[in-house]
Amino acid sequence: MEDNKTSKESIKILNRRSFIIIFISVFFSLFVILRLFSLQIINSNFYKKKSIENKVSVKAIPPLRGDIFDNNNNLIAGSTSSYEFVIFKNLNKKFIDELNSLNSILSLDLDLPKIINEINKKNPYVPYKISKAGWDQIVKFEKNKFLFTAIKIQESKKRYYPHKNMSQILGYTGSSSLSSELYPKGVFHIEKTFENILKGKPGKIFNEVNSQGRIVREISIQEPIKGNNLHLTINLKMQDFAQSLLPLTNKGSIVVLNCQDGSILSMNSNPTFNSQAFEDRDNSVIERLLSDNSKPLINRAFSGFYPPGSVFKPIPALLGLQKNVINENTEVICKGHSTLKDRNYYCWKKGGHGRVNLKKAIKESCDVYFYELAKKTNIDELSQLATSLGLNQKYDIGLSNPQQGLVPNKKWKKAYLDQGWYLGETLITCIGQGFNLTSPLQLATLYSALINGGKYPKPRIHNDENVSYLGDAFDKKYHDLILESLNATVLEPSGTAFKLNNLHPNFVKIGGKTGTSQVIRIKEEDREDDLYKSKEVEDRFKDHSVFVGYAPFDKPKYVASVIIENGGSGSAVAAPIAHKALNFAYNLNV
Amino acid sequence: MFKEVKSLMDINWIFFFLLLVIFWIGEINLYSAANGNFEPWAYNQLKRFLFFLPIFFFILMLQPRFIFNVTEIILITTVIGLIITLFFGYTGMGAKRWIRIGGFNLQISEFAKIALVLFMAKYFHKLNAEKTIGLLRSILPLIISLIVFILVAIQPDLGTAVIILTLGLIAIFYAGINLIYPILSLIVLGISSPFLWTLLKPYQQNRVMIFLNPDLDPLGKGYHIIQSKIAIGSGGMRGNGFLGGSQSSLDFLPEKETDFVFAIFSEQFGFTGSMVILGLFLFLFLIPIFKSFFLTQVFNKLILFVLSFKIFFEFLINISMTIGLVPVVGVALPFMSYGGSSLLSNMIICALLINIMSISEKKRMFS
Repeated sequence: MEDNKTSKESIKILNRRSFIIIFISVFFSLFVILRLFSLQIINSNFYKKKSIENKVSVKAIPPLRGDIFDNNNNLIAGSTSSYEFVIFKNLNKKFIDELNSLNSILSLDLDLPKIINEINKKNPYVPYKISKAGWDQIVKFEKNKFLFTAIKIQESKKRYYPHKNMSQILGYTGSSSLSSELYPKGVFHIEKTFENILKGKPGKIFNEVNSQGRIVREISIQEPIKGNNLHLTINLKMQDFAQSLLPLTNKGSIVVLNCQDGSILSMNSNPTFNSQAFEDRDNSVIERLLSDNSKPLINRAFSGFYPPGSVFKPIPALLGLQKNVINENTEVICKGHSTLKDRNYYCWKKGGHGRVNLKKAIKESCDVYFYELAKKTNIDELSQLATSLGLNQKYDIGLSNPQQGLVPNKKWKKAYLDQGWYLGETLITCIGQGFNLTSPLQLATLYSALINGGKYPKPRIHNDENVSYLGDAFDKKYHDLILESLNATVLEPSGTAFKLNNLHPNFVKIGGKTGTSQVIRIKEEDREDDLYKSKEVEDRFKDHSVFVGYAPFDKPKYVASVIIENGGSGSAVAAPIAHKALNFAYNLNV
Repeated sequence: MFKEVKSLMDINWIFFFLLLVIFWIGEINLYSAANGNFEPWAYNQLKRFLFFLPIFFFILMLQPRFIFNVTEIILITTVIGLIITLFFGYTGMGAKRWIRIGGFNLQISEFAKIALVLFMAKYFHKLNAEKTIGLLRSILPLIISLIVFILVAIQPDLGTAVIILTLGLIAIFYAGINLIYPILSLIVLGISSPFLWTLLKPYQQNRVMIFLNPDLDPLGKGYHIIQSKIAIGSGGMRGNGFLGGSQSSLDFLPEKETDFVFAIFSEQFGFTGSMVILGLFLFLFLIPIFKSFFLTQVFNKLILFVLSFKIFFEFLINISMTIGLVPVVGVALPFMSYGGSSLLSNMIICALLINIMSISEKKRMFS
């Protein structure tokens, strides 16, 4: 290296150039400082928030669902623990091997390709439920625990329904497959309707997670809040007993309600199902239930609509009295049929009832009396009165899909059938056939209305719901007359349900009305004839047997409404069932 | 070849001490990057530092004259090294950047920076210009710079290549090229930049696009910048405290021990800490330059200026990367990023700086 005599000019240039570059560097540094200032001082809170969002994951803890009790504080729906095998795909890359060994060790018979396909679609940090874990399987799993890192046993809370007969009222819970909901919610009947009371509030676990979503530590827990308990008016004993009354051979239903406060004590339907099957996700059972032609999921007491038959008769009777078309003494001579425009309308009793007044017409269920009355009846007024007495109304008591049924009027026929009203239709409407459609619950309510003199407590199933009243009171004179007639139906020798007294002489004395709901129009004169049942009629064409009764007859407290599909005449099948149910309720005294 | 041992006493202790402080902050930072573990980074980096210390002192004790004499050999060796890298290099992250020598993966391009500056220093020293330099006399350094640039750029390692070219141009600028040429070339560059854009590899274009808008790809290529900004921003004024950085400890920060090591630091020590680091590097930059004003020999002045500029420049580029001011180009933070080649080359640079700084022209050490 040779020393140079560097010229002064050159040194000046070099030093000047270094100042230029230092200046540019410092200028650039100022940019960096400004940027850091903006990030760390001005927008610091924004990034702090981002950082917390980055590191905290919130996991919901499902709350316990509220319990459901009957009116006697018996648990009818609660929660219990269940165990499931779940897989955390992210914990082991060879999770498929683990699935295979789980399948073979526990002989689970899993559809592995389907499961693997589903797992691959899911978020790897969310556990995938493989199957239920029974006690034996848990023991085997624990013995071979060293084989599994991704598969774990997870406890979950499950709905528990101790009484099968409550299923038609309680419904069930379930989790929708598409929704993002973390825990099941009510999807049917009481479980659905009172979801907001029962569901509770989910808790939250705040976890610190790393960028892979793995939990590093738990920061805090917000405990879940259990849902509120629900008390029903249903009485467990009544419900169980009523179910035992329904013949297994026929579809049918029975409602028992307290006509003093509207509380429904029992509401049964046959065939029925078990809510637990839905909770256990027992798919084969569920599929069978859904595809069953006898529709076991339908509560026929609530959702079954049939022509009411003769139990409808008190309504035209009351209307006739109110309109002064008839009075207590008005008589009609029944020769077995009535004629309107060259057409005969038959009474169920071939030879006719002879001289018939109102009481006898109800007691012996004379159709001709009501045909004659119908000729002077305005169908719109009849429909209106029926509505105020509890028919033709939706009862939103808490079961799913409440329906209105039908008591026809001119407007309805015009709107739905685009036809005018014929007087002949009034005739068959007045004996409860034709377009009439009522549910057993509506019929029970109708009789509650009659018993209460027109103003009646709204039926209810939620015990905390206040008693409210529907309908308008009618004249006490008419009230007494109608009840007297209904009592006579059971208590007086020629009454259609008199034989109940012989059948069960020790039971509580009841009043009520038999009915036969026509399935097809065959030989009207055969209706209510006890011989009818012995005749060779194909079962599915047999009439529905209807009875609505109340007990005790002199101071009614309970109303029972029974329908047995294709059961035949009301007096033969439905009436004894209602009598037993009323006697049971009377002795239970709830 | 070597200076006298007693000249060790004349070294710039402040500079040396500054170097140790920055390295030690880097160590602490690597310790926190591993969530309070010396393994794997802090420990390895310290081992390397201790291993390189003899090399550091070896270069510190070399006679400047000896360095002056071997600049061409060094340059040729590194160019050959770059060519070998291209053919026999070890591939990582989509590029051939390393060659394996004696158990180490060496990134020759790091040393090419030094070799180029040394060559420039000798060239302009020998030129012994009276005034500003014309284009003709800048042609050779320009060509050499371009050759090295291209050899590194096709690895491909655009970040290092751009730094090499910058250093070459800065050296030529410092040596006194007529101001017309840099101004003219800036204008040409401005006009031709759209054309240059098409020459970039798709991943490089991508990086630039995502630099301009990281939200284009928040979980992919923009993820680095977004997460780094979150880490730095959440540090606030005073930081989250030592080992208190959740972004880094929870692994949200990728490449946190190398290119994004500043984010780790800044998350823990906040704006205050960032300013301290900036200050330390500014001193590291200005001390040799201050010394250079008292020297007359072009060789010495140019080495002091351009090499200290190199460290500060890389520092600025790295920080700007982490705060989203420039695209992510893979430039390490001197003495703080985990990595052997960068540490070794920066230690060599500092040894050279200390070596030259201890020259007292009055004592006629050049004679």
